[in-house]
Amino acid sequence: MVLPKATISEIIGLLEAINDAGGVEDAARLAADFDLELDEILPSIDGAELLGFVVVSDGNIELTGEAKRLLDAGIQERKKIIRDKIAGVPIIKELTDRLLRSDEKRMSREEVLKFIQKRISAADVEDYFKIIINWTRHAGLIGYDSDSEEIYLLSGA
Amino acid sequence: MLVEIRNVSKTYESDGTRIGVLDSIDFSVDDNDFICIVGPSGCGKSTLLRIIVGLEKPTSGEVLFKGKAIAPENPKVAMVFQNFALFPWLTVTENIELVLEPKVHDEKQREEIACRYIRAVGLDGFEKVYPRELSGGMKQRVGFARALAVEPILLCMDEPFSSLDALTAQNLKDELLMLWADASMPPEAVIMVTHNVEEAVYMANRIILLSPRPGKVIADLRIELERPRNRKDPEFYRWVDKVYSLIV
Repeated sequence: MVLPKATISEIIGLLEAINDAGGVEDAARLAADFDLELDEILPSIDGAELLGFVVVSDGNIELTGEAKRLLDAGIQERKKIIRDKIAGVPIIKELTDRLLRSDEKRMSREEVLKFIQKRISAADVEDYFKIIINWTRHAGLIGYDSDSEEIYLLSGA
Repeated sequence: MLVEIRNVSKTYESDGTRIGVLDSIDFSVDDNDFICIVGPSGCGKSTLLRIIVGLEKPTSGEVLFKGKAIAPENPKVAMVFQNFALFPWLTVTENIELVLEPKVHDEKQREEIACRYIRAVGLDGFEKVYPRELSGGMKQRVGFARALAVEPILLCMDEPFSSLDALTAQNLKDELLMLWADASMPPEAVIMVTHNVEEAVYMANRIILLSPRPGKVIADLRIELERPRNRKDPEFYRWVDKVYSLIV
């Protein structure tokens, strides 16, 4: 899993639901709980797994200690925990490094779309672009200026 | 008593026939009330909310805010909308600063207040972003920050989670309850309109049930469930069943 198509809010919502179920829940039951199809909830499960908040085995999704720490925390503390997790995601690390090495610390949207296409061979690169920005903004790493259509490093990077 | 809704009725004239929307609604709102107004679609619950904040006039009856007739420009009342109602050409910070303009004349101070509430809802890092670049969940966080920034005594919310996907909605409900539990944060009371019984039992400490049109209060009950609430708790389900049993 390079990057799932799920926002950070969706992933936290999922963790809250697993927590309500006692810390471990079946994927199908989670989907039914939210009136979602299984394939609609899978990206959030993948995202939670990629960030180290759940362990998945045989269709059972179990919260990790980190997830419990996240759910017990206030809004600002949650941001900090998520920030550290996102910074460790390989595709985001790679993009941040590219930006750091670039001359103006900026990259055009076009370049980023190509960057994504090379790593995720999907037709909907635009959607992944939005997800990357959603995650990196949460993490205070990368922002997007929609006027100049460029991404740039935030102070946290 | 913060707000008194006194015998409020609303009717519309349509092709010579009168259509009743709300019928003799009468209740009061106290400090620390988190009220959910629940009813089927078309029962007039959104109209009632608009009357409570002074955006619409009742046909008869009145709404008093701390003993005085409510007016739409009341700075102590704020509203969160289902569809966020953000200005697309303004950034997150600018959207929030705009509602502060009539009240806070110092620009620097407006910026500070906006900044405080942006942090409170976890939107720091998104200050200069335009709404079109935000996910639904982030847009509604701006809606919350904007409403809280006026430091309202009464916060009104019209189906604030129903344009969000189910997972995002779950996340935002919990965050809103965190803000509600934080004594340093406004407001003193919340009135939220929803069609979703489970959501009402999850959020509210008081539920007011409206009948189908014309909306009449059919129940006014206190939800005595400890927080944080758990949707999987059998006790939670008993409350949901109880509310359903009053509807049918």
